[in-house]
Amino acid sequence: MNTLMIKALAFAAVLIIATLVVVKQMNIDLSDPINMITMLGAVAIAVLTFGVAAKYVNQMKTDKAEGELAEENWDGIGEYKNELPSGWAYSFLGTLIWAMWYWTVGYPLNAFSQIGMWNEEVKAYNAKFEETHKNADLETLQQMGESVFLVQCAPCHGETGDGLSGKAQDLGIRMSKEQILYTIENGSDQLGYEMGAMPPMMAQGEDAKAIAEYIAGGMKGEQPAAFAACASCHGEDGKGNNGMSPSLADYDDAVISHVLQHGKKGQIGKMPSFKTMLTPVQEKALAVYIRSLSN
Amino acid sequence: MQSHAALEYDYSVAKLFTYTTILFGFVGMLIGTFIAAQLAFPELNYWMGEYGTFSRLRPLHTNVVIYGFTVSGVFATFYYSAQRVLKVSMAESNFLMFVGKLQFVLYVILAAGMVVSLLMGYSSSKEYAEMEWPLDILTVAVWVLWGIVMFGLIGLRREKTLYISLWYFIATFLGVAMLYLFNNMALPTYFFSGGLGNIMHSVSMYSGTNDALVQWWWGHNAVAFVFTVPIIAMIYYFLPKESGQAIYSYKLSLLSFWGLMFVYLWAGSHHLLWSTVPDWMQSMGSIFSVVLILPSWGSAINMLLTMKGEWNQLTENPLIKFMVLASTFYMLSTLEGPIQAIKSVNAIAHFTDWIPGHVHDGVLGWVAFMIMASLFHMAPRMYKREIYSKKLMDAQFWLQITAVVLYFTSMWIAGITQGMMWRAVDEYGNLMYSFIDTVAVLNPYYTIRALAGVLYLTGFLMFAYNMYKTMTASRKIEAEPQFRSPMA
Amino acid sequence: MFHWLEKNPFFFAVGVFVVIAFAGLIEILPNFAEASRPVAGLKPYTVLELTGKNIYKKDHCIACHSQLIRPFKAETDRYGQYSLSGEYAYDRPFLWGSKRTGPDLHRVGNYRTTEWHENHMWDPKSVVPQSIMPAYKHYFTNIADIETAYAEAVTVKNVFKTPYGDEFQPTKEAWEAHKPIVLAEAKAIADDMKNKDVKEAVANGQIPEIVALIAYLNRLK
Ligand code: HEC
Ligand code: HEC
Ligand code: HEC
Ligand code: HEM
Ligand code: HEM
Ligand SMILES: [Ca+2]
Ligand SMILES: [Ca+2]
Ligand SMILES: [Cu+2]
Repeated sequence: MNTLMIKALAFAAVLIIATLVVVKQMNIDLSDPINMITMLGAVAIAVLTFGVAAKYVNQMKTDKAEGELAEENWDGIGEYKNELPSGWAYSFLGTLIWAMWYWTVGYPLNAFSQIGMWNEEVKAYNAKFEETHKNADLETLQQMGESVFLVQCAPCHGETGDGLSGKAQDLGIRMSKEQILYTIENGSDQLGYEMGAMPPMMAQGEDAKAIAEYIAGGMKGEQPAAFAACASCHGEDGKGNNGMSPSLADYDDAVISHVLQHGKKGQIGKMPSFKTMLTPVQEKALAVYIRSLSN
Repeated sequence: MQSHAALEYDYSVAKLFTYTTILFGFVGMLIGTFIAAQLAFPELNYWMGEYGTFSRLRPLHTNVVIYGFTVSGVFATFYYSAQRVLKVSMAESNFLMFVGKLQFVLYVILAAGMVVSLLMGYSSSKEYAEMEWPLDILTVAVWVLWGIVMFGLIGLRREKTLYISLWYFIATFLGVAMLYLFNNMALPTYFFSGGLGNIMHSVSMYSGTNDALVQWWWGHNAVAFVFTVPIIAMIYYFLPKESGQAIYSYKLSLLSFWGLMFVYLWAGSHHLLWSTVPDWMQSMGSIFSVVLILPSWGSAINMLLTMKGEWNQLTENPLIKFMVLASTFYMLSTLEGPIQAIKSVNAIAHFTDWIPGHVHDGVLGWVAFMIMASLFHMAPRMYKREIYSKKLMDAQFWLQITAVVLYFTSMWIAGITQGMMWRAVDEYGNLMYSFIDTVAVLNPYYTIRALAGVLYLTGFLMFAYNMYKTMTASRKIEAEPQFRSPMA
Repeated sequence: MFHWLEKNPFFFAVGVFVVIAFAGLIEILPNFAEASRPVAGLKPYTVLELTGKNIYKKDHCIACHSQLIRPFKAETDRYGQYSLSGEYAYDRPFLWGSKRTGPDLHRVGNYRTTEWHENHMWDPKSVVPQSIMPAYKHYFTNIADIETAYAEAVTVKNVFKTPYGDEFQPTKEAWEAHKPIVLAEAKAIADDMKNKDVKEAVANGQIPEIVALIAYLNRLK
């Protein structure tokens, strides 16, 4: 091999190695077929282009132009009657035959459908997922919840779940005083609980304020008497009567699931529904993760 | 040699388009460098209100480099070389001379209208077809005038056989005419609503998937018939002319040409892989893209073989260096493109920076290199002066090669990384990265690309300066040089 | 030597034209009618949404955003159901894009809200600190051109039979009659927003561009 070729291939190698290093840093799984084919493609581009170009440029050094000149001449430009370079000619013929074959035989027999491929991909994946996480422990769920949260929820709730200075729910607390007052005043009918709607104005004035402070404070200390109006539905402990209505004390699985299914429009603003975007396991994982934020 | 001694070629139109090539080249690359910097430093979006955001400037960049720089370059080299390979002078026909100058005037109006209207936000938002309908009509007029000159000169020709460059110029004319027309079909809403609303606004004749097919039938072939075919016309003329070497193989020229014509159009649907276009159309685009490697490489190899045994020219003449490197960058983009057109690879590459990487291998390493080399070759003949500075040209060459390498390696790595990050799942099978993670990781590569832009732009300024000095101040030459361009 | 065709420019040109033309016919025509059929239940854009779409076009959001969800699990997990041809039947032009500097937006209406867009278009970094998207503060003061959108609706109704109601007529009077409907739709959006100037403008019968753009983004589902 001559030096030019060595340099060309060395450049190709550096480029490929740099790509591999960067990709590996991002924890990419190169055994995934799509990733693998892409990397092979990249290798082919670099090696073939630089290799073949080096081969021909090298001929400028070592070879001599010759052949029989055609009689035509344009503005001093002549033309040799040389034959086709055979490597080129056979490759062209080969690819043309391959294309015709693919077109008339290969593709019709294969009958690829991209939607079919998606269905299979998702089916296989879901089966595996359910199998793996049938009995996931809390720690696994919490980590899984965090990863879903960062992708789907962080744009509104912030990477730490703090609600980006009031732009969305601060998930470190169950609810703020303002939110509770707002709900007391307006009632609520959107989360799809079995009990249905909560009527407006179940408490007023000082009573409402006291209740709001009590709930926002984490339902600790002495319960204001007026809370009785709420207890009939939310339970004495505010935990929602076994899922009949939302828990006011904490983010239990039911609250998260109802919010994700139905979305919520409240004092802060609107939270979209994620009905079609998340699986039941992911909802559960999110609940575990969100609970971890307030601890 | 003696054959054209009697003929005085007339370069007045070629000169006019040379000026616009340099002007729009500079403006387009300045904007390119600026938008590259905006992605690395987003604060740069706010320097001139709504007119300075990345999103307003990006189409301005593409339109100015395509319809300003490249198309001017095509016209300039056409008006220069067509006379010579046909052995007729523009001066022989007052009519053609008039049409040529009219074409230039309309072209300048068109280009100015394009810049202003895109800045103002008049856009049909179809890539490479952004100009609104009044400018589309003007484009057609400019194109038709060019066709009149082209076929007029051919009609008057003394050289019976059309030289290879002309095959490619004719194909450029026909290909763009057909595709541009179909893709820009739109209804101006003002005339269909009893005079309501803005008169510039139009609505596409096609919708959804059909619009996508027509758009990329054009978009892909804008690449073919603006960035490839006329540039091949240039290299087939200017490389043998500058080097004095005969074309290596007529057969290779012939098969590459017809192969390219036949295959190119089939490949358009590689821009629509995994979309809602039927599977069979996508596969067709994929397959023919791979076939396309060979007619593309055919021209490049023919050029490299033409230089067989001429190593000394390569080392001594920077113009030859530009053209040989252009051939190899052409090979790079025409292998990279087909590989990106393989469906599995496209699943990663599409929508990522690997695509602009591929684009700029072609446009910086091939298109712009060839245009600059061609204008350098033309200058001593048009202005009867030697090229102002060989040293400067050499420095420009190394600066711009560095820039292209930085551009394509950074975008290559950025694109592959981002494409794989979008697909990556964690151990639980959930998406591993939020979208913004995949943006943040690109910052270093965007910075490198912006630097590449600065280098390339500096090189272009050196080119512009060298040309300017060649036109005005360098040493006069007596006789026209037959091959190698004289330079100080 | 074999230079026959190259001595006959006319046949040469015809040859080139035929060779480049027919690929397009084979690839585009067979599917044309099928591909223009809308999915069941698809409604044409309202005039306000069309106005927003024109703003999206004017500012080339397509430069950074795609509207095409490909059928890969990673993509449907991130953005929702893969895109269907019939969903684009009223998209003139199509806005699939070819570069995702920012995320896909084909179903962004499912998982983002008016308030969020308001914050985000005003200052993307306020919600996504590492964002490189430009802020579009001028949308909060520029007044949107709803009349042109109406003209577009009338045009596509008459020429392409896009199913707009009979009240869409190419006359000034019909437009004046339709205007209050557009304003009402704008008001519903402005009610969810916080920016005072925007609310005030809408109350005064003017629609800032941001309102129309959000109407369009919310429609993307
Ligand atoms: C008639 C039964 C009933 C009574 C009485 C009642 N609630 Fe509710 N509450 C509900 C139901 C049902 C919901 C869920 C509503 C929905 O689907 O939007 C709810 C929701 C809420 C929520 C919103 C939770 C969330 O996550 O968005 C708050 C806060 C709340 N109640 C507080 C109170 C307070 C404070 C009182 C007493 C002043 C009270 N409720 C009295 C039935 C009741
Ligand atoms: C487009 C913005 C947005 C996105 C995305 C978003 N949220 Fe929210 N979310 C909100 C807003 C706004 C609120 C506050 C609603 C209110 O009470 O006014 C909220 C409230 C909540 C609440 C409290 C609801 C209650 O009843 O107390 C929970 C829990 C929650 N979000 C979880 C999530 C999870 C989990 C995700 C991701 C899968 C998510 N959110 C994605 C905007 C969003
Ligand atoms: C310079 C590139 C750029 C331009 C131009 C741009 N965006 Fe973005 N966009 C981004 C990036 C990067 C993100 C992701 C980070 C973020 O959310 O800000 C994004 C996010 C978004 C989102 C949130 C989508 C989601 O799923 O979170 C919306 C909506 C959006 N952009 C709309 C627009 C509109 C409308 C325009 C044009 C007026 C526009 N963008 C112009 C880069 C851009
Ligand atoms: C054999 C020849 C080529 C093939 C098969 C090819 C193929 C491709 C493919 C597959 C894409 C990406 C589509 C996507 O996923 O978004 C692409 C994009 C592009 N290529 Fe090539 N390419 C070729 C040569 C070239 C050359 C020589 C140039 C320019 C000099 C070029 C310029 C472009 C441009 C500008 C785009 C971007 C289009 C867009 O805006 O999305 N290509 N090409
Ligand atoms: C100084 C040199 C240049 C720089 C720094 C530059 C930079 C850029 C940038 C940043 C983009 C946008 C990429 C994105 O959206 O991610 C772009 C797009 C583009 N540029 Fe350039 N550019 C330069 C020169 C050119 C030249 C000379 C041409 C053509 C002759 C060109 C043609 C294009 C095209 C066709 C696109 C669109 C690509 C696509 O949509 O995929 N550029 N350029
Ligand atoms: Ca147009
Ligand atoms: Ca593009
Ligand atoms: Cu293409």
